[in-house]
Amino acid sequence: MERNREGMRRVGQRLMGPGAIALMGLALASVPSQRAVRAAAPPPVPAAPTPEVLREVFHNGEAGFVVTEIAYALGPDAKGSGSCPAGMSRGIRDLIKAYKDSPDGQRRTDEAEQAYERRVGMAVHAGAGGQNLCMHPELAGPDPLWRMVSGADVRVDGIDLDGQDSAPGKRPAAGTCGHQDFQGTHGERGIDNQFYRVVGCVPGFQSTGQANGWQTEMYTGSWGILISLKGVDDLRNDPDVQVGIYANADPIQLSAARAALPYATYAIDQDPRFRAVAHGRIVDGVLTIDPVDIRLHNIVNSMKDERVLRDARLRLTFTADGGMEGFLAGYTPVDDMYNLQFGSRQSRTAKGDLAPERIRIQVSQGREDAFGHTCTGVYHALQQAADGLRDPATGRCTGISTQYRIRIAPAFVVDTPTKSVNAPLAAR
Amino acid sequence: MRRLTESQYRATIADVFAPDVPIAGRFERAQRADGLIAVGSSVGGMSAFGFEQYDASARGIAAEVTGEKRRAQFVPCQPKSANAFDAACATKFVDTYGLKLFRRPLARDERARFVGVAKAAQARLGGFYQGLEYALVGMLQSPHFLLRMERTEPDPQHRGALRLDAWSKATRLSYFLTNSTPDAELLRAAGAGELDTDQGLARQVDRLIASPKLEAAVRAFFWDMLQFDGFNDLFKDPVIYPAYNSSVARDAQEQTLRTIVSLLVTERGDYRDLFTTRKTWLTRPLGIVYRMPVATRNGWEQAEYPAYSNRSGILTDISMLALHSHPGRSSATLRGKSLREVFLCQHVPDPPANVNFTAVDQVSRPGSTARMRLAEHNDNPVCAGCHKLTDPIGLTLENFDGSGGFRAKENGAELDLKGMLDGATFAGAPGLGQTMHDNPNVPICLVDKLYRSAVGREVVDAEGPYLDYLATTFGASGYRVPELMRAIALSKTFYAVALPAVPAKTQTAAAARKGDRS
Repeated sequence: MERNREGMRRVGQRLMGPGAIALMGLALASVPSQRAVRAAAPPPVPAAPTPEVLREVFHNGEAGFVVTEIAYALGPDAKGSGSCPAGMSRGIRDLIKAYKDSPDGQRRTDEAEQAYERRVGMAVHAGAGGQNLCMHPELAGPDPLWRMVSGADVRVDGIDLDGQDSAPGKRPAAGTCGHQDFQGTHGERGIDNQFYRVVGCVPGFQSTGQANGWQTEMYTGSWGILISLKGVDDLRNDPDVQVGIYANADPIQLSAARAALPYATYAIDQDPRFRAVAHGRIVDGVLTIDPVDIRLHNIVNSMKDERVLRDARLRLTFTADGGMEGFLAGYTPVDDMYNLQFGSRQSRTAKGDLAPERIRIQVSQGREDAFGHTCTGVYHALQQAADGLRDPATGRCTGISTQYRIRIAPAFVVDTPTKSVNAPLAAR
Repeated sequence: MRRLTESQYRATIADVFAPDVPIAGRFERAQRADGLIAVGSSVGGMSAFGFEQYDASARGIAAEVTGEKRRAQFVPCQPKSANAFDAACATKFVDTYGLKLFRRPLARDERARFVGVAKAAQARLGGFYQGLEYALVGMLQSPHFLLRMERTEPDPQHRGALRLDAWSKATRLSYFLTNSTPDAELLRAAGAGELDTDQGLARQVDRLIASPKLEAAVRAFFWDMLQFDGFNDLFKDPVIYPAYNSSVARDAQEQTLRTIVSLLVTERGDYRDLFTTRKTWLTRPLGIVYRMPVATRNGWEQAEYPAYSNRSGILTDISMLALHSHPGRSSATLRGKSLREVFLCQHVPDPPANVNFTAVDQVSRPGSTARMRLAEHNDNPVCAGCHKLTDPIGLTLENFDGSGGFRAKENGAELDLKGMLDGATFAGAPGLGQTMHDNPNVPICLVDKLYRSAVGREVVDAEGPYLDYLATTFGASGYRVPELMRAIALSKTFYAVALPAVPAKTQTAAAARKGDRS
C-alpha cells in the first residue's frame, strides 16, 4: 500500500512538475501543445482532475477505466448543415410506398389484408430467387437513390487514421483507398470517417434517430468495454504507456438513476480474442496509441455479434472526475459492419449457435423500418465507401473508417475468471 | 422471561429442524432498552400483529416438517395404520420436539394435550400427519417456545434459596454462547444434572466456547450493540450518494460483523484492536464506495484499508459512518453521540424540542465545513452543552461523507480533523481509533454490555463489584472476548435468580385459575 502511495506521488509530481502540484489542473488546461499550435483553433481541453482525484485513479502508475458512453461519432444532421445536398437516402418505407403505388402493388379485389402485406413484403424484401435481401444483400445491385454525405464544408471530429489529409485524386496512404477526409470542428484535417459518409443521410442516424442508441444494451449489462493504463509515470508527457482495451466480463454497475458508477471492479474477458494491448503515449495530456486490432462484444435483442476495429487508435484526455473522453477509431471490416449494424447475417445465440434465420430477418427488417435504410442500399454503400484494409490481391478496400465518441470512468480492472450466479441457468 | 429475538428464533428453527425450513412470518420491530435489544426482550410486549406473524410462521414450519416431501426426515416414527390414530408415534413426535422447542421435557399434562391435539386434528382432517402438523403448530405458538421462561428450584446448597433448574441454566447458557437453542449434548447434560456441578458446567462451557457456533453468538451480540437494526430505517439520498443502495446497506453490516468475528473469534484477538485494525472484508458493492478493487464477483474477500485511505478500525466502516449520518449529509454530532453511547456506555441527551437547526442545515454553502456550521449552531448555549460531548469526536470523521465514502474536502474547503476525547487530543480517524483503543472505559463498557446482554436485564447496584472483577479478568486475558464470555458463563452471578420466577412444577395462582392452557 505504501508503494501505491509512493507511486501515485511520483506520478503526481511528474504530471505537474516539481512544486506545482496544486497548479496541475491549470497546467493541463492552459499550456498549448505542439500539435495544438498547428491547428487553427485547438479543441477545448476538458477540466483536469485534481491531485486528490488522481490519487484514487492511479496506483503505481496503473489505472483502470470502464466505458460509460459510446456512440458513433457522426457529423451534423443533414437538415440545415448542407451535408446531404441531394437529399436523404431512400429507405424501406419509400420502397414499400413506391411498390404500393405501382400497378403490381395494388391490392387485388379478393386479396386478404394479410396476404397482401405478405406479397408487398416479398416484393421489397426478397430477391429474384426469393431469398431475403437483408440476408443476401449482394443479390441486388447498388441503390441509385442511396445518398452519401457530400457537402463541401461538413465538420466531423475524430482521429486521422491514415496519417494524411486524403482527397479524391490524391495518392492514398498505404493500405487505404482514395476518399475524401473530413475536417474537424476546430480545423483539424485528415479525419477519416467514411462510415458517417455512408449513413449521414439516413434518417435513423440523425441526432434524433434510433440508430446510434445501441449503448442501451451496455447499460443492461449485456456487454461492456474496459481500458487499462500501465507504466504511466507522467500524465502530461509520457512516451511509453501500455494501453489495454478489453471486453468487460462483468455487467456495468449503475446508480438508481442508471448512471454508471465510478470505481467499480470489472474483470477482463478471459477469451484472448477480446483482449488488445497497445503501446501508447501521452503528449500534452492527450493519450494516443499505436494501431491495434480490437474485438468487442455487441448484443442486441439477445443476439450476439462482434464489434471489430482493425488498426484501432485512441485519443483521450482526462476529465475532472478522473475519467477520460475522446475517440476510439479504426477500420471495421465492411461485412462485419453490415452484420453488426444492419443485416444480422451472423448473429448468434447466448450459447454460440447461429440464431434462427427467422429472428435474424425480423431484426434486420426491423432495423430497416426503424432507421430508414434498405439492407441492399447500405450494403453496397459500405462497399463503395470502404477506405481501409486494402486487399493487396484485388486492390479493393475491405474496411470502412469508423469513429466512436467515448467517455470512460475510473474503475478497477482485474484479470480473473468471473461468472454470473445465474450461469448454471444460462447453460441449460 | 425473555422473548426470542428474530435471530434466535431463526437459529432455533434451523437447529431444531433444518436451515432450509422456511419461516413465513415477519417479525415485529424489536424493542431496545438501554441500548440493547437483549435487554428489551425482557420487557417488551407482544402485539396482536406479532402473534399473527408467529402463527403464520408456525403453520409454515409445521406444514414443511410434516408434509409428504420431508416427513421422513423429521418424523421419528411411522404410524402403524393409515387410518387409526397411532398414539405411540404421536407421543414420540411430541416428546421429541417438545424437548427441543420448550428446551425441557414436557410435563405429563402438556404431552397429553399436544397428543390430544394431534388425535383431534386427525379425526377432523383424516390423516395422521395432519394431526402431527397441528400438534406442532400448537407447540410453535406456545409461550414456552416463544419466550424463554426460566424456572427455579430449591437450592440444596443454600437453604431457603432458589436456583435456576438445569434446563433453564442450559437455555441461558446456550443462547448466550450460541444464540440458539440447547443442542442435544447440552440437554443431555442438563437431564443428567451435570450443569449443577462446577466441573460439569465447565465442560459444557468449554465445549460451546470451542464450537463454531460461538461465532453466531458474537455476531448477534455485536449486531445488537452496534444497533444495526437501525439500517431498517436508514435512507440515503440517491442523488447525493448514488453508490449507496440496498446491497451496500446489507453488505456494510456484514462487513463489520465479519471483521469482528475474524479478529475476536477466529484470531482470538484483542477487542481494542477493532478500533485500529485495517484488515477488513469487501464485496463489489462495498468496493465502489470504498474505491477499492474487489476481484470476487459474487461473495466476500479479505482486504486491507490502504494506509493513505485514512480508514482504520470499524469506526471507519460504512456501517458506522452511514448509520450515524443524515440522508444527505454526514453528522459529526450523530457520530459522536453514537460513539459515546455504543462504545463508552455514556448517555447523551436528545436535543431540546425548540432547537434551531438553520445553521447546520445549510450544508452546501461554498467554503463551509461541518465544523464551521456547528460552531455557528453552538452559539446557542442550550445546544453547546451536549455538542461539546459529541462534536469533538465526530468532527474527526468528517472526511467521510454521509454514505461512508471518502472526501478530502467539503464544499471545496480543507477539513480540520482535530478532535478530543476524555482529555486526549488527536486528529482524523486513525487518531480517533488509537484513542479509543487506549481509552480504559472502552473495554469496561463492553463488559457491561456483554453482561447485560447475557442476563437480559439492567445491572443492579450489588453487581458492581462483579462487573469490576469481569473487567479485570477481561484485561488479564488480553481483552479476549471469548475469555470474557467464558468468565461470565462460569460465574454464579450469571445463573442468579434475579427476577420473580415460577418454580418448577408449580403454578402461579393466576395460571392455576386460568388452567394454564399454554
